[in-house]
Amino acid sequence: MNIIVCLKQILDPEIPARDFRVDGEKKEAVRGPANLVTNIFCENALETALQLREKSGGRITALTFGPEEAEDTLRKALAMKADAATLVVNDGSPHPDPLAVAQTLAAAIRKIGAFDLVMLGRESGDWGVAQTGGLLAEELGAPCVSFVDHIEVGGENPGAEPNADPNADPNAGQNAVLIVKRQTENGWEKLAAKLPLVVTITNNEFNVPRIPKTRDIMMSARQPITKWTLEDLGVNAAEIRAGGSYYEVVDLAIPVKEVTCEFVSGDTLEQKVERFAERIVEITRAL
Amino acid sequence: MTDIVICLFSSSGYDRAAQGVVGAGRRLATQLNGRLHAVVAGAHNSELNIRVASVADAVVTADQRELTRYQPELHLNAITQICRDIGPRVILFGNDTYSQETAPRLAHRLGGAAAGDCLELMTQDGAIRVKRSVYGGKALATIELKRSPAVVWLRARAFEPVATSLASVTTVRRIRFDIQADDRTQIVERKSEAAGAARLEDARVILSGGRGLGGPEAFKDLQELATMLGGQTAASRAACDSGWCPPSWQVGQTGKKVAPGLYIAVAIRGASQHMAGISDAKNIAAINIDPDAPIFKSCRFGIVEDYRKVIPLLKEKLAALQK
Amino acid sequence: MIQHIEATRPVLWNITNVWVMYAMFAVSIAVAGYGVYQRVALWRRGASSKSFDRPAERLKALLEHALGQRRTVRERYAGFFHTFIYTGFIILTAATTVVMLDYDFGLPIMRGAFYLYFQSFIVDVFGALALIGVGIAAARRLVIKPAKLVYTDESLLILASIFLIALTGFLVEGWRIAATNDPWGAWSPFGYLVARASQSLMSVEAMRTAHLVTWWSHAALVFGFIAWAPYTKMLHALTGPLNIYAARLGPSGAALKRLDFDKLAETGEPMGVKTLAGFTWKDLLDFDACTECGRCTSVCPANRVGKELSPRDLILDLRNFARGDGDSAFAALVANSVPAAASERLWQCTTCGACMEACPVFIEQATKIVDLRRYLVMEESDFPDTMQEAITSLESRGHPFRGTQSSRMDWAEGLNVKTAASARDAEVLLWVGCGGALIERNQKVVRATAQLLEKAGVKFAVLGREEKCTGDPARRIGNEFLFEMMAKENVETLKGYGVKKIVTSCPHCFNTFRNEYPQFGGDYEVYHHSEFLAGLVNEGRIKTTAQSDKTITYHDPCYLGRHNSVFDAPRRLVQISSRSTVEMKQNREQGFCCGGGGGMSFVEEPKDKRVNQERARQALETGADVVAVGCPFCMTMLEDGVNARKGERDVKVMDVAELLWQAAQDSN
Repeated sequence: MNIIVCLKQILDPEIPARDFRVDGEKKEAVRGPANLVTNIFCENALETALQLREKSGGRITALTFGPEEAEDTLRKALAMKADAATLVVNDGSPHPDPLAVAQTLAAAIRKIGAFDLVMLGRESGDWGVAQTGGLLAEELGAPCVSFVDHIEVGGENPGAEPNADPNADPNAGQNAVLIVKRQTENGWEKLAAKLPLVVTITNNEFNVPRIPKTRDIMMSARQPITKWTLEDLGVNAAEIRAGGSYYEVVDLAIPVKEVTCEFVSGDTLEQKVERFAERIVEITRAL
Repeated sequence: MTDIVICLFSSSGYDRAAQGVVGAGRRLATQLNGRLHAVVAGAHNSELNIRVASVADAVVTADQRELTRYQPELHLNAITQICRDIGPRVILFGNDTYSQETAPRLAHRLGGAAAGDCLELMTQDGAIRVKRSVYGGKALATIELKRSPAVVWLRARAFEPVATSLASVTTVRRIRFDIQADDRTQIVERKSEAAGAARLEDARVILSGGRGLGGPEAFKDLQELATMLGGQTAASRAACDSGWCPPSWQVGQTGKKVAPGLYIAVAIRGASQHMAGISDAKNIAAINIDPDAPIFKSCRFGIVEDYRKVIPLLKEKLAALQK
Repeated sequence: MIQHIEATRPVLWNITNVWVMYAMFAVSIAVAGYGVYQRVALWRRGASSKSFDRPAERLKALLEHALGQRRTVRERYAGFFHTFIYTGFIILTAATTVVMLDYDFGLPIMRGAFYLYFQSFIVDVFGALALIGVGIAAARRLVIKPAKLVYTDESLLILASIFLIALTGFLVEGWRIAATNDPWGAWSPFGYLVARASQSLMSVEAMRTAHLVTWWSHAALVFGFIAWAPYTKMLHALTGPLNIYAARLGPSGAALKRLDFDKLAETGEPMGVKTLAGFTWKDLLDFDACTECGRCTSVCPANRVGKELSPRDLILDLRNFARGDGDSAFAALVANSVPAAASERLWQCTTCGACMEACPVFIEQATKIVDLRRYLVMEESDFPDTMQEAITSLESRGHPFRGTQSSRMDWAEGLNVKTAASARDAEVLLWVGCGGALIERNQKVVRATAQLLEKAGVKFAVLGREEKCTGDPARRIGNEFLFEMMAKENVETLKGYGVKKIVTSCPHCFNTFRNEYPQFGGDYEVYHHSEFLAGLVNEGRIKTTAQSDKTITYHDPCYLGRHNSVFDAPRRLVQISSRSTVEMKQNREQGFCCGGGGGMSFVEEPKDKRVNQERARQALETGADVVAVGCPFCMTMLEDGVNARKGERDVKVMDVAELLWQAAQDSN
């Protein structure tokens, strides 16, 4: 199975709020003291891919569309034991819109060649747009399932299970290749999916990304990373460098919030809790 | 004539989220002097259809057998077809799972542009603009959609409903499709927590636990407290990632966005990603042993103590006060 | 005429076929020799280690600790009996040597006054002391049964053997004295007692027979013991002194060694210890030097609060592993001993070094734990989740505190603090450290320090945003690779600013700069803030105007105290700040860890097994109102512990700099 995992490098989302600044002109966050990290959901996706490969075999290619620094993201993917890595160098707008990204990724995936499963994070920790997966599926003409947290290679007719949806087609699942489970608001759904398929991955306790072994980190420094330019892909390079034509950020600002917290007072713990309880009851009665 | 479409999945019924979408659609249509079309996909739901029909100018249902239960490809195909026929300027969705995965793909198929988790919907010289929270809730961006139709999924509960009635003039039109069997993906199994259980997004009071709780047992205490207050339990991402509670309890940037009257955070530090999920809460309170925990910056009131000592006493005091 | 006869005794009286004794001796030496050879052959399989430089210092250590038994006598009970037995061995061996020199080599030394005072009297006394020592030891092992000992048949057999050897020795002496009417018999008081007692019970013939039998029994016992000894823990008589001589010189804070990553990448050898091959010969010697005394375990803070970690058991497990199958992976040992849980104990160590400080033969237990950790961390990525988070945070953010909301210069708000980039005339770099900058409670400590430095007119600067973790947590957790990367980066940054003098309020940073960075080309004058501030006080540059009424007790941070022997400077600051100070029972070299080192402050401990709470209890026991600390980790751990244990009492935890600032802030 050929698996492509798309990874995005972003500013560390965990920098303290007081260090976070935006550039109103450029309409992006100021780099400041923040480090660059791989988006956590992308790492969840890679971890899911690695576990799938461990169980059922396959070849994993890590793919990133980003500036030269994004090579670090790919090196980490290689250290986690992805089989290959490709960087499409973004030398244009640092925040292209999701369609521009999807078009670029689709062209890169076609250039890589055969693909069965494309995996992305559900959204990125910076802009949180959450569209790249769906748009990429459309560009590739493949179906898409979002908020997936578990994938396994399925057998024949997996619909014949005790909790099966009674309205489901009993023939569904025959010749299905993957069973993907995705989260919903108050539970989950399992889908039988044919390949090729695009999935977006969300976090759960089982896909916490593995820590690469030091030896693998050392080896990854020596592994080759394929690098392509937008011209190599035959996309509308000028438009993509300009950021795309799908949408435009016209303003970016940090909202100002003013709330002062009342720390309940009391000489003893009991008194403090009493006061705390009183405040709770005051507020809930008014709801 | 500008056409606005609101798209709802009937499985949720006319819940608060649907109400928000309907309200937003109605106001937008009025603002743009346009026609409001409602598309309801999924099993036939009379109440939903009638309420929607009481404020929309046209209602289309897609409820044939193949569409009774949601299947990603089939519903997307159906909705795409309906929207092609209508040719709207704007299509609105809520932020439920199905809407989120449908909207971008629909935008692509219609040659439009999508934007999600929007808090505000505006028009500017004929362009559609939205405001959405970015950078883990630390900033607010205004986005102008450059292609038409604008497909927007809203943070539905942040929008006010409009009054609906059970009497309507508008007829509900059922569309039959020539469904191309698209079985590339098929839902084969579903699991929901108790049907009828209140949605976290609709809860008025929420007790939420974080990494500091150390394990699943402490969440039982929180559930007791929540029950006493007529509320529900939630958790931070760290607690969910540790397997102490189901993922559906996760509140935050990537989790539920909740808007309760009172949100009590227990042993939660208050990282911005978590705060992004509760920014619409009317009152936030916290129990945390660290007086410098960032959550206190967003709190109305708080107590700086070890939650282990507070919870049992709190149960006592609340029981006494509630008599 | 009175003939003046020189005092002496007939050697080998009553004994014939003496050649048999020499034969037994030869066999005994051969067997013993083989035993020793086996051990040495094992040590030689280890990697190299520089352990024989600076002989003068090593000889001094040998005298102090091997001869002087300095650490053994820390414990009264055990100190007594071991001294008795050990000196008994030495004296009696000397006595036998004297016999040999006189009899076999014809040197007439076993005569006259020397014979009387030494060979008769002193030897008898020490022989009796040895007997008493064995008795005390046996009583301890059989009656008192302290938990820290290892209860094997071998130990009892050793005690029994020594007892019998001494006993038969006295019997033989006594019967000779009686049977030969030795005129100087009374110079051997205990032998004389045996003689007098026997005379009333036995005939001379009987005594001669008894003497003959007992003499050969004694010989058999002695030669048997010598042959057997190297195969038992008695080997420590050789390996102990050798280990003391070869022990690492310098502070225990410098105990960890570098790895050659380029070489390991090439050869494919594992990083850290996976098999015996990962150990140096000195490590292998450590295993063989162990006397099973159990002191390391009894002082281990993790063990004290009920965790599984036992440094003694770790060393003995490794020893047994080394002697058994020398080639299979350590993992096999782990699987064979206690499944999965065995490696768990590795993650309970705070690297406080109490075990190494307590060991009478200078075994390094904690460094082996780090060696084992290195393999698990770097080769297997198999280590506790919370430590993983700290490592990930170090890699991407340059600090181990994921989720902090502070930035590096927050502590300096409102103060006139310059960064190195802008202060070219700074004499001293104030290294804030991650704990000081990013944990809000500790920011107050750094503020106090900076304010004191300013008051004293010290021209200092900070690195501010350019400061990155020294890498200490990475090194202790076992990620030596990350540590090296961080060390090299920091050395570059410091070189860029021409830094020569560093003052830091974190003992971990202090230790890393002072003992570990020189290996990476970073050579600085490093001071802990308490040392530097105490110096300023002594120079009169800081004056105090107030003194607190609160009673203060000072907790020695392991990385400042035990690992680097800085005990007095912080105490000076405490004494200036308060009229009343009190020491905890475990202080200075015997200080009890706060539980925060070795990556442990990133681990959630079971509620009933928290090291910090135990130390808090010890602090509260003193009745003090204030617990003074000198480390951000100690601050966090002890505040937590004290808050959990103090009940209704008003007890605060404060840094020595804060205390000094309180006392000095109003001065000119």
